[in-house]
Amino acid sequence: MTIALAPGKVVERSIPMAGAIELTVHHPPSARAGVPGQFFQLEVKAPQTILRRPYSAAWTDPATGRLGFIFNVVGAGSAWLSGLDEGDELELLGPLGNGFDLEGDRPAICVAGGLGIAVFPGVVQALIARGRTVVVLEGARTAAQLLPASRFPDADVRVATDDGSAGHRGSAVDLVSNLLHNRAQLPPPFTGEGQGGRIDILSCGPTPMLRALIAAARRHDIPLATIQVALETPMGCGIGTCLGCAAPRSGGGYVLTCQEGPCVRGDRIDWDQMTDAFHG
Amino acid sequence: MADLTVDLGRGLRLRSPIMVASGTFGYGFDAPQVDHGSLGAIVSKGTTLRAREGNAPIRIAETPSGMLNAIGLQNPGVDHVVRAYAPQWATWDLPVIVNVAGDSVDEYVAVARRLNGVEGVAGLELNISCPNVESGLQFGVDPTLAAEVTRAVRAATALPLIVKLTPNVTDIVAIARAVEDAGADAVSAINTYVGMAIDVRRRRPMISRQSGGLSGPAIKPLALHAVWQVAAAVHIPVIGVGGIMTPADALEFLLAGAAAVQLGTVNYVRPQAAAEILEGITGYLALHDLPDVRALPIRSASVLTHV
Repeated sequence: MTIALAPGKVVERSIPMAGAIELTVHHPPSARAGVPGQFFQLEVKAPQTILRRPYSAAWTDPATGRLGFIFNVVGAGSAWLSGLDEGDELELLGPLGNGFDLEGDRPAICVAGGLGIAVFPGVVQALIARGRTVVVLEGARTAAQLLPASRFPDADVRVATDDGSAGHRGSAVDLVSNLLHNRAQLPPPFTGEGQGGRIDILSCGPTPMLRALIAAARRHDIPLATIQVALETPMGCGIGTCLGCAAPRSGGGYVLTCQEGPCVRGDRIDWDQMTDAFHG
Repeated sequence: MADLTVDLGRGLRLRSPIMVASGTFGYGFDAPQVDHGSLGAIVSKGTTLRAREGNAPIRIAETPSGMLNAIGLQNPGVDHVVRAYAPQWATWDLPVIVNVAGDSVDEYVAVARRLNGVEGVAGLELNISCPNVESGLQFGVDPTLAAEVTRAVRAATALPLIVKLTPNVTDIVAIARAVEDAGADAVSAINTYVGMAIDVRRRRPMISRQSGGLSGPAIKPLALHAVWQVAAAVHIPVIGVGGIMTPADALEFLLAGAAAVQLGTVNYVRPQAAAEILEGITGYLALHDLPDVRALPIRSASVLTHV
């Protein structure tokens, strides 16, 4: 684990899609280390806030020493972060936790709901770099809130919106269900017999969406062990000392999101007990 | 350079007045960013006789200048601590004090006995102040019960014994005096305040156990007042805990009569805090030409009889 405490510097602030901010931070030790899906604890200095805010890197680029964070404003911490601009310092602790397991050669479906898409630019790039076929299923409330498909070069991007303003009217989980129901809609590797026609599913999004995804997978007899999810729970320290980020473990007890997660296999979680939570 | 050592009694000497508070530092293995050299001691997570899973999520919530937690004493049990952790502690040049929790006098005693004589265990901190388990506060809010459990543990161990007090009482001084009389070598003041927060959008408590323990700068003035009162009432060292984030915060507690301080919530935010605070205390002693931390309390030795 590489832990860097020297601050990074914001080198770019942009609006990747409606209602979201993307900060590009220059911090070579953070950009160099890590696996897509790992997270960083960002220090916020908003009045009356205490805790750092955990964010998965959207992407990292070791060559330039840069990494990106995509987020929306949901509370005082994210509001403070959204006010950072080019030249400002940002202290980040990480990379922390476990990222997605990207190994293997099976085709992959990346399922993102809302800001869950924020983790996927780096994930998809890494999957493509491993020669894997990737379908990205992205859901948002409305077309303007979709991260543009151009952020996923070489992937097959399909979208859903709650209001039908782009793609399927409905959710990203609908898209998965439809594809699993009719695999002929998928590119050839998904339908071939190599690897037994199996696929990997990687997902990030609000807990109710993850729960719906798990339910869909069960309906389609997809083993939960072939699904990886990025958990989102309230978090204190990010390093395993406060024990605050517990998620219910399948079979009893708890998984610490910061240590065993945030990316875990779908069969590790007791989805009936998994609570959605407030995030500030 | 000024003398930074602290004597907590029964041979427990710290090289620095900065400790890390129970529950904020695990068992000392999870925060490689923290410079152990600045610390006087580590206090472990609350440890019970058998492993505990802890409370169902949601366990924490941020509140103005503070945070609520209701972890519920998730810990691997004392046997695991003795087998897996203590041998590693024994190789450190930093004392580790095990925070001991339980549901009954018998459980406290059993844990204390199991830890007695274990190499790597430098002392015990008796947790009679956890607000987040069914019977956690039972012993801490009643002077008679507080004394009873302290006396029983005292008889079961030769280790230095610190008792961690809860502020969720009418008269913390009465509890402090009771545990002193029962044989405590020192007291930690304070554990968290019971509080709550409600998720207005979802119309439910933020924490699934409804209430939790409030920590952080929000409670610092309250903790400081508790330390001020207790320090004048007992003859044993008082360890100040509650919302310390900066060198000035730590100095306030030492000026109020604390012999040492514990850092808690700040460990989640600024791993460099212990080093910064120790540097701040060292600079303050030099600036005021004070020989050691024992010279810091602003009230005279006739008031603070342990100094």
